[in-house]
Amino acid sequence: MKLEVSSAIILHHTDYGEADRIVTFLTPDHGRLKGFARAARKSRKRFGAALEPLAEVQMHWVSRSSGDLVSLRDADLVKLRAGLRRDLETLTLAGYGCELTEVLFDDSGAGVEVFQLLQAFLDHLDSEGFSVEARLLLEIRMLSLSGYMPHLQHCADCSSPLPAGQVSFSAFHNGSLCAECDAGRVAIKVDRMTLGTFGRILETPLTRFSGFKLSPQSRQEGQALLNDALRCHLHRPLKSLEMLDRFSPEE
Amino acid sequence: MLDSIPSFARLVAELAKFPGIGNKTATRLAFFLLRQPKAQAEALATAILDLQNNTRFCSVCFHITEQNPCPLCCDPGRDEALLCVVEEPQALLAIERSRSFKGRYHVLHGALSPLDGIGPEELKIDPLIDRLDKGSVQEVLIATNFTVEGGATALYLAKLIQPRGIRVTRLAYGIPMGSELEYVDEATVNRAVEGRRDI
Repeated sequence: MKLEVSSAIILHHTDYGEADRIVTFLTPDHGRLKGFARAARKSRKRFGAALEPLAEVQMHWVSRSSGDLVSLRDADLVKLRAGLRRDLETLTLAGYGCELTEVLFDDSGAGVEVFQLLQAFLDHLDSEGFSVEARLLLEIRMLSLSGYMPHLQHCADCSSPLPAGQVSFSAFHNGSLCAECDAGRVAIKVDRMTLGTFGRILETPLTRFSGFKLSPQSRQEGQALLNDALRCHLHRPLKSLEMLDRFSPEE
Repeated sequence: MLDSIPSFARLVAELAKFPGIGNKTATRLAFFLLRQPKAQAEALATAILDLQNNTRFCSVCFHITEQNPCPLCCDPGRDEALLCVVEEPQALLAIERSRSFKGRYHVLHGALSPLDGIGPEELKIDPLIDRLDKGSVQEVLIATNFTVEGGATALYLAKLIQPRGIRVTRLAYGIPMGSELEYVDEATVNRAVEGRRDI
C-alpha cells in the first residue's frame, strides 16, 4: 500500500463510533476523497485541529484495497484560516462553499482548478469577510467548471441574439430565452446587462475575488439566476443554504 | 451459531446497539453477564429501568436530573448573575469537576451546524433567551466546543445576547496543563499566543 501525500481542504467530517471520524476532503490531483481517521476524536496528537472543516492541510493517506474510504495516517495543518470564524455570515458562507463543492463534484470530477477556486474563495473570506459578490463569483465559476453553465448571451433554444432590456431565464431550458422561445412560460427575468456582467466575470482569472462590485440589481438578478441553475443541477438540496440565507446580511 | 440460544442472541443484539460496541464486544459482555450472579444481572436491569423512569431534563437548565428543577438550579449558593452555556450535559459535568465555576448553567443539547442543516430551532436557545429576559443574568459564559460548530453557536448566541446589554464571554483557548509546547498543534499555539496575558 502506497502512502499518498497531497495538499487538501477539509470539506466536512462525520463522527463515527466512539472516537473515529470520517473526513471528506478535496485535493488538487485526486479530486474529492473520503477518509477514515481512527481515534481522531480521542487522541489529538496525530490530527489535532487539522481535520476541522475549512482547514487546509498536508494530508497523508493510504488507499484500501476495497471500499471507497482511504485510511488517513496523518494531517499537518497548513492554514486554519481563523478569519473565517470572525462572524456568523462569513463562517456560514465558507461552509456553504465547501458543501457546494462536495455536492457539485463527484469523487473524480473535481480537478486542480476546483481546488484552486475553493482555496482562493476561502482565502478571500479569511481576509475580507462575507460579501454577496464572493458568493456569486464562487457559484458562477463552480457551475462553469462543472460543465453546467447555462447559455447566457444568446437564446438557449434558437441561438438567436437577445434584445436589450429584460430577457427570460430558465435553467431547465438551458439558459436565457428570447421572447418567442419563452412564450410567457418563464418567471425569472434578468436584465441583458446582468448577463453581460456574468459573461465578463467568466473571463476573469478563476482565483480573483477582490475588486468586484456589482450593482444591487445585478446582485439580485444574478442570485435568482444562479439559484435556479444550482437547483436544477444539484442532486440534493444544500443543508447550509437555509442557514446562509438566514444569516446573510439583508441588502 | 447464536440462533440456537435466542435469549443470548437477543442480549448481544441489544448490547451491540451501544455506541462504540460491535458484535465481538457485545458477545464478550454477554458472556461476562452470563457468569455473574443473578443479583448482579438484576441490579443492572433495575439501574437501566430506573434511569429511564426517574430521570428527565430540568425544565430550567435542561441538564439531566431526577428532581425538577435540578439541584444546580435550586442551589441558593450559586451566582444568579453568571450563566454558563454548554452544548451537552457531559460538558456541564466536566466544568463541575473542575470546581472553578459557581454560577448557573444552560444546556443547549447540540450545536449549530451549517453543514449538517442543524439550525437554532433544534437547540434549547428560545428557553435560554426567556431566562435572560427575566433579568437576573449579567454575564453569559459561552462554553461550547472549540470546533466549527461550537464556534458558529457562540457567534450566534453572542449576536442574540449582546443587544440585551448582557456581557458575553467565551472560554479561553490555551495550552493544556502538563503538556510540552513542541507537541501542541499549531492552531492551539497560535490561539495561546494571541490570548497571552501579563504575569
